[in-house]
Amino acid sequence: MERKIGVYVCECGPNIAEKVDIDKVLNAVSSLEGVAVAEKYKLLCSVDGKKFLEDEIKKHGLTHLVVSACSPKQHEQTFMEVCENAGINPYLFQLANIREQCAWITEDKDEATEKAIRLTKAAIRRVRYHSSLEKKEIECNPDVLVIGGGVAGIEASLQLASSDRKIYLVEKNSSLGGLITNFEKTFPNMKPTSDIIKQKIQDIAENENIKVFTDAEVEEVIGFFGNFEVKIKKKTEENNVVEFDVGAVVLATGSASFDPKKTPGYGYGKFDDVFTALEFEKMNSSGKISLKNGKAPKSVAIIHCVGREEKGYCSEICCMYSLKFACYLKDKIPGVKVSHFYSDLCIPGKSCQKFYEKTTEKNVDFIRATDVEVIKQGDKINIKYKAENNSKNSHPVDMVILSPAIEPTSDTSRLAEITSISQSDGGFFAEEHEKLGPVSTSTDGVYIVGCAQGPKNISETIVQSEAAAGKILSSLVPGRKIEPEVKTSQISESFCIGCKTCISVCPYGAITFDETKKISVVNEVICRGCGSCTAACPSGAATLKHFTFNQLYQEIVEAVQ
Amino acid sequence: MSETSLNSKGVVISAKPNTKEAIIGILEKAMDKEVFDAVLIPMSVPAGDSFVYVLIKDKSLLKDAVPLSPVMSVQGAHAVSSVTRLGSGNMKIAAVMRPCEIRATVELAKLGQTNLENITLISLDCPGVLPMSDFLSDPKKSMSMFDDAVQKWDDKIMRPVCQICDKSSMVAGDIHIGTLGAKKDTFFIISNSQKGNDTLDKLDITLKDSIDSWQAKVKTISEEKQKKRKKNLKDLKSDIGGIDNLLDAFSQCINCHNCMSVCPICFCRLCYFDSDKVKHSSEEYLNRAESKGSIRFLPDTTLFQTGRMLHMSLSCVSCGACEDACPMSIPVAQIFSMIADETQDLFDYVSGRNLEEPLPLVTYKEGELHEVEDAND
Amino acid sequence: MKWRMQMTKALKINKNVDQSILELLKFLLERGKVKGVFTLKKISKDGAVAYSLITKSDELKDAVPLFPLMPVNAGKLLSRFTLKGESTKPVAAVVKPCELRAFVELVKREQGSLENLFIISSTCGGVYPLKMAVDKTVEKNLSKYWDAVKKAEILDELRPVCKGCEEFTPYTADMTVDLIAKNDIDKQCVILLNTKKGEELVKGMKAEFLEKDLDNGKLDKFQSKREVEKKKLFSEIETKTKDMDGLIDIFGRCIGCHGCMRVCPICYCKLCEFESPNSEYKPPTYESELNKRGGLRVPPGTIYYQLGRLSHISISCVSCGLCEDVCPVDIPISVIFKKVGESVQKVFDYIPGKDVEEEIPLITFDKDELAEVED
Repeated sequence: MERKIGVYVCECGPNIAEKVDIDKVLNAVSSLEGVAVAEKYKLLCSVDGKKFLEDEIKKHGLTHLVVSACSPKQHEQTFMEVCENAGINPYLFQLANIREQCAWITEDKDEATEKAIRLTKAAIRRVRYHSSLEKKEIECNPDVLVIGGGVAGIEASLQLASSDRKIYLVEKNSSLGGLITNFEKTFPNMKPTSDIIKQKIQDIAENENIKVFTDAEVEEVIGFFGNFEVKIKKKTEENNVVEFDVGAVVLATGSASFDPKKTPGYGYGKFDDVFTALEFEKMNSSGKISLKNGKAPKSVAIIHCVGREEKGYCSEICCMYSLKFACYLKDKIPGVKVSHFYSDLCIPGKSCQKFYEKTTEKNVDFIRATDVEVIKQGDKINIKYKAENNSKNSHPVDMVILSPAIEPTSDTSRLAEITSISQSDGGFFAEEHEKLGPVSTSTDGVYIVGCAQGPKNISETIVQSEAAAGKILSSLVPGRKIEPEVKTSQISESFCIGCKTCISVCPYGAITFDETKKISVVNEVICRGCGSCTAACPSGAATLKHFTFNQLYQEIVEAVQ
Repeated sequence: MSETSLNSKGVVISAKPNTKEAIIGILEKAMDKEVFDAVLIPMSVPAGDSFVYVLIKDKSLLKDAVPLSPVMSVQGAHAVSSVTRLGSGNMKIAAVMRPCEIRATVELAKLGQTNLENITLISLDCPGVLPMSDFLSDPKKSMSMFDDAVQKWDDKIMRPVCQICDKSSMVAGDIHIGTLGAKKDTFFIISNSQKGNDTLDKLDITLKDSIDSWQAKVKTISEEKQKKRKKNLKDLKSDIGGIDNLLDAFSQCINCHNCMSVCPICFCRLCYFDSDKVKHSSEEYLNRAESKGSIRFLPDTTLFQTGRMLHMSLSCVSCGACEDACPMSIPVAQIFSMIADETQDLFDYVSGRNLEEPLPLVTYKEGELHEVEDAND
Repeated sequence: MKWRMQMTKALKINKNVDQSILELLKFLLERGKVKGVFTLKKISKDGAVAYSLITKSDELKDAVPLFPLMPVNAGKLLSRFTLKGESTKPVAAVVKPCELRAFVELVKREQGSLENLFIISSTCGGVYPLKMAVDKTVEKNLSKYWDAVKKAEILDELRPVCKGCEEFTPYTADMTVDLIAKNDIDKQCVILLNTKKGEELVKGMKAEFLEKDLDNGKLDKFQSKREVEKKKLFSEIETKTKDMDGLIDIFGRCIGCHGCMRVCPICYCKLCEFESPNSEYKPPTYESELNKRGGLRVPPGTIYYQLGRLSHISISCVSCGLCEDVCPVDIPISVIFKKVGESVQKVFDYIPGKDVEEEIPLITFDKDELAEVED
């Protein structure tokens, strides 16, 4: 096939024209092999410019197009569309960046011109080796996988479920509700938890668009936004693997608590009547607060910030629930003495200050202390601490409640790997952007909500669940078409020897292994064309469309000649 | 030394009438009891001028087997791989090989080129192996010299890389035969895995004896060798360091790629450096020649060597097969060993020591290599 | 006799042959007659010799065009040079007759192109084995080599197949340097210009132009000597190639490195059949073979590979001997291939590389051929 390459250099207003001698560039390339025409134009991305290109292609019967202009990030798509409209395959096109990578960064005009010539020549040489590539289209899957059936997951599921969108809600325990089911009341309004959660769980059960899997864990999530293949494993059944497809994933796995055994100075696990917050919540929910000997405690110490130094962050809600504990105690055991030992108090938001003041009115002590230690003297527990005035004091109590830091759950790393997202500070799932992208992640279509993303209270959790739902509702529209990557990898059947190196490095799980032929095979729908397999394959059996060895080699050789 | 020895106990076996026959005796017994269906072990070729791996099913052939052959014509890992690359098969096979061959087999298993399900890997303490060309000059004489060297555990006549091998008693397989540190006319059998334990069990061999004397002797020898290795490779590094010296080191290379073919780790069906990717047009070649005035043709000899280093050094077991095969006597094994030591060190990796240990190059560890990241800050 | 040419135009330079060739190459480069020259060159300070592509004439100072060493078969190099397309610029190559023949065989198989290439060859006294390059003894044996060339004698130290090579004059070269049996090569160099291309190339060169021919009498005698050597070589391996036991003996120590295949100029396949999945044994095959034989060498197929390669390339084997030089276990592979190669070629009266227009017999159907086999 005779190649007719059209080369067009954009003046880009003054951007390129003033820094590069465009006529010189045109001169240098117009007589190269295969170049049918070399012209300049004021602004190729303008409506007129695009029309000009289209006309030129048709007029000269061009087979390939090279444009020297701005960054591909800016207008590669634009000119590819021009190609399509003019009847040539959009991949028989190469954009040489002589703006960002040349005109804008080179002082000397001669140098800039020389560079622009090299870049343009390199693009021309490369484009000779381009092959036509065809686009693919698949319909996006509007369904959603929600991992975690606590407040966050339940809220997201209810927001998302509809007749044209199924929700798969996977919970690793045997019932829904999560941590909140252990709490009698919630702060700061001290209303019963059942107000929040009971109805929601009922709504889930009655919603025919939500499929719930309990005692189940997610094993595999492969694919991309609009097209994920999911595998879950049910822990209690024979044929225990279930597979289904979704378009988005919401991670709502909640949190765990710091283990106070790691800070032995607090006596947890050593002495009786030293409880963690969760243990105390459960005790309180059972109706009776008592010591090991069955009697009601007369004095209780609540120690804040357990594990804060070790974790390196404030868990935001412990001070508030510690206040809640004080209220529980005062309600159930009139006359009980409650002392809080804290280093800093965290009382954010519009209602919490009021709650704090009300609680302190009930004869609850707040002692700012450092070097807090729980020791046993005889059969009595004593809190030793250093007060604000540096004096060393001790405070005998019957019961100690520890408020430990919030941690990510133990399966966070595994799930991060499965969904190809990262973990950030504290090991929580990493959001895409701290301020501007708090519920999305680096992987399109994977969202994080609730304490899985970082310590937060219930209202903040609800906000995030609704936000994630909103994002999914607006982008994962049923019937919308998605175009998987065109520039995918291919693995030669004759040369692949089945070492699976490509499989080890593929970030998208797009390569599977054919056990019969003992070779690796690329799933072209899932492949994102990152090129990792191509780079890793020792024998070069894996190649990347549009970035073949030869295409890259020819471009580089010409550029550095 | 293996850090995965399951057992701190071994068993002392009588080496009567001699070690070789005692080992063969055990293998024969194992075949009798159908613990193994076949044994992969070196045997002499009919002409008597080399030794090759033979998969033996007919027990009567075992009497001619040579567990510790004087030459390594084919790296054992190649042999195991050719038998099981496409599947484990139905035969239970015992493979009797040197530690470096076992290690290479383990590396190949990680690379999907060997299936170890039905293979029991049996290693022996290795005194080294003769360079092939020395052996060929007088096979009979070489064999008696080798036997002598084994008796004295003297490595002077062995391959250069054998002389600096500090892993010659490394246990990376299932069962190990330890001749070092054993009392006269005995040797140790040591198990390194559940498979090893089960096999010895079926042979009514109980691991009841202390192997302290073997461990002590092995430690002494490896430490000595390690010192020698460090020194030799350090000297080599200064000899061939820098692009000019490197080019000189490979100036005689004729690009026959023998080193790559015999290397157990080089498993690619079509080597990158034999593929289309290194075939250019006459215009390319002329342009390159013009830019320098003259280029060696075919060019890219050093690219092949350094490229091969890049691809396989993390799994290199310093067996020396490459150097034996080089027609131009380039000290390839020593050069590659030097690089392999450094690259494996970078990842705290020892090739072939543990089947479960993932290959560093394809394993992402978030906390790794920060010193490289920060180097440019 | 096959090397008889009509009186051709020739070029005489009054310097020793090494210097003369260098002068020729210098002329070609400096006058722009060619853009590059392929020839042997010293490429390191300790005198390692390798083929090089030279474009600047001052690089010729290290060139050693007639060095008696063949580290690579130049036919393979020329094939690689023109594999992706004919040479875009004129290039000269100084190669030995067998290397040229190998290249012609490759051109017949679309693995290269003769376009734009000017071939300078010579009557060839053979080469030293690579082992001598390893031992660094080539330099000190150079005068011995040239003495033997002058006297038309055959040195014992040469590559085995060189000793028995009867194809020591090139068929299709543009120029032939007259070397064998010429005892004045220390003082002068005669280069026969066999083709019009060759003549054009040296127009304008400061040298004596004359009409010359090869000395057929002397070359006939030399050929007889070579024939005697060949018979000796063949008889040495005769018994070993008679039957399977003999083959097992001679190939027993083969380690399957396939070095012979890789350096062979005729072996051009991207992926050799014997390295492809077709040659891999599957577990059931191992099991059935073991049941049959009781013991199986692993990896298998040692002799299968050798016989297979023989059947693939023997029709074009030019007996350059590189295979044996590269064999790590010193199997006399080049002699075996020469013997079988010549037998096969004889059946078809075919001399590989003699004529680029002559088709390869194995893929040519000639109705009247081999009727004796039919009957």
